[in-house]
Amino acid sequence: MPFQYLPVMAQNSAPKPPRVLVSPSRPAWCPISRPLSTSRVALLSSAALRLAHQEPFIPREDFGYRRVPSEPNAGDLVIDHHSGIGRVPKQDPEIVFPRTALANLQRRGIVGSLAPFHFSFMGGLRDHGKIENELATSIANDLKQAQVDLALLVPY
Amino acid sequence: MMIGTAHDIMSKVTPPRAVFVDHPVGRTFGPPHNRLRNEEVLARVLEELPKFTRAGEIRDPGFQWLADGGRAWEDELRAEMRQDR
Repeated sequence: MPFQYLPVMAQNSAPKPPRVLVSPSRPAWCPISRPLSTSRVALLSSAALRLAHQEPFIPREDFGYRRVPSEPNAGDLVIDHHSGIGRVPKQDPEIVFPRTALANLQRRGIVGSLAPFHFSFMGGLRDHGKIENELATSIANDLKQAQVDLALLVPY
Repeated sequence: MMIGTAHDIMSKVTPPRAVFVDHPVGRTFGPPHNRLRNEEVLARVLEELPKFTRAGEIRDPGFQWLADGGRAWEDELRAEMRQDR
């Protein structure tokens, strides 16, 4: 049986009520229009990832996002997320943000092309309306401009 | 498409497409400093992409964190998560 995260999170937040989880208010299903081998792919991460020289994510309710170059040699990654599970991913952000793995799959022809930038933002934000109407909309516009066919979201 | 380790959370938030990776949270693509494992996990996840038939589906390719399928890692994970209190 998969590990149950919600009871542990509820215990951690007690005596405050557990975090409210919501589904998108609008349908988000889009048919797959082209095979992966001709698709442009971008990564999305809620680990509050950035390059070292980019502005840090602060405070906890930061609704901004960072564009992270998809080229693996573009610079080392930093994780600003405040979660207690961050000790291991901070040793190697690629285990939650597989920038190099994705680039290798593109070189092997499994993935068609990479978006010039991947995107990262702070996870665990509580204003769901602001996430859906501002943060997600801004990232979606960036993805459309980059002609991304497939966005892979890795929650942190 | 979401690639996540928390099946119970993904079941509640219902992304249009989701692939479940049965690894501890924070190690979605494997342990640190193993690029081969990162690539293997990502490639296997992407094989699920054409198989989705409906919104909200969570596909499970059968990943295991430990080679023997053991789940001793869950106790360590609970201890780590307590640091979020």
